Amino acid sequence: MSAAVQLSRRDRMLLHCAPLREDHVDDRALRSALHHARQTPGLAVQQSFDRAAAAVVQAVPIPQEIIDWVPTDTYIAPTRRPWKKYAQNPAFAATGIAVVVIAIVAIFQLVDRLNRFPGQSTAQRLLTTASSNKSMMLDPVKTDAGALGDFLFMKHRLAHYDVPPEFAELKTLGCRVFDDEEGQRVAQVWVVEKKMQFFLFPAERDPKTGAAKHFNGWRHIDQDRWSGVVKEQNGVCFMAALRGSEKDLAPYISKKKE
Amino acid sequence: MAEEEKQNLLQLYRFCYLMVADAAKAQEIFHATLREAAQQAADGEAPRDRLWFFRNARWRCLEVSEKGLQAEDVDLEEGELAESGPSQIEKLEPQQFAIWISGAPEPQRTALALFYLDEFSHRDLLSVTELKPPELAKLLARGRREFQAWLDATLPVTQI
Repeated sequence: MSAAVQLSRRDRMLLHCAPLREDHVDDRALRSALHHARQTPGLAVQQSFDRAAAAVVQAVPIPQEIIDWVPTDTYIAPTRRPWKKYAQNPAFAATGIAVVVIAIVAIFQLVDRLNRFPGQSTAQRLLTTASSNKSMMLDPVKTDAGALGDFLFMKHRLAHYDVPPEFAELKTLGCRVFDDEEGQRVAQVWVVEKKMQFFLFPAERDPKTGAAKHFNGWRHIDQDRWSGVVKEQNGVCFMAALRGSEKDLAPYISKKKE
Repeated sequence: MAEEEKQNLLQLYRFCYLMVADAAKAQEIFHATLREAAQQAADGEAPRDRLWFFRNARWRCLEVSEKGLQAEDVDLEEGELAESGPSQIEKLEPQQFAIWISGAPEPQRTALALFYLDEFSHRDLLSVTELKPPELAKLLARGRREFQAWLDATLPVTQI
């Protein structure tokens, strides 16, 4: 295809396939080649040649039998748009991405909600207290943690402030009782092992009935490299906290004790 | 049936005719193709698209051609496309053109027949002919030049 316009070898090759109808150009490279060669005489000659040949083909007579015989029902299966076609549609792609993002946020919220437990906000606050306190602030009490329940009841009239059996054998260093921001009585215990701290505080209560909100088993919380496990019993929450991760506390709560 | 689909089937007949250059054989192949489509539709496996009809008819045409007289395998002369080409073509009878196309070797025959039906997009053409773009381009370009040379020999410009 001689032309004043310099066509690439690929363009020249593709132009040999140039369809006569614009709507038959469904290939980007071919469209680009046609665009480059649109004013070349070679393409014009080729297209008029092809047009004339196509006209001869359209003049092929169709026997009446064929026209009559063409069936009245369709034999072609209904078109099924493959999912890739849908995915390439910007509107579908945008909707899809939005749905995925919403789903991810919803899943995160659901997981967060499932992991939430009554008294979590207090526990979280006390974890901050744990990270900022020193053992010197506590009254020295050297005993088994399990024995503190009686001590807290006798000295501070705190009923059911019992250390669960999983942590009962640990040796204590000190203890204090204070009122938190909400005026709740909180017992804080410093333990020898791993500089662990225990907190005992009232479980969250239903504002209407005043009844303690119960939950089963141990719940885990994390904050500023501090980790805690919380359990509720008899309307009182117990939290064991240490600087570390959930893994550091796992061995204690996995122990089955009476 | 949509009018478009009906037109497609009529083009299918033209395709068969270009491939075999014989109205009776073309009709036979057309019917056989539609019968197979009907059978598949009855079995719940209707052809996925209109290209199926042309692929199916193509192989039937080639089968029929193999049984008939074979064109000699010779190198045809080639001529540069002339501006007089279209006026030379206008003088042709459809049957003459069909005879010329049906004498072309495969896959050039299918490529030319489908291309001049002016029915398919570029991708559809590649799909039915099972050719790559450079192969199709080469076959069409050579086909045009050979056709021009044949026109020059059959209908010299001086006669027009």
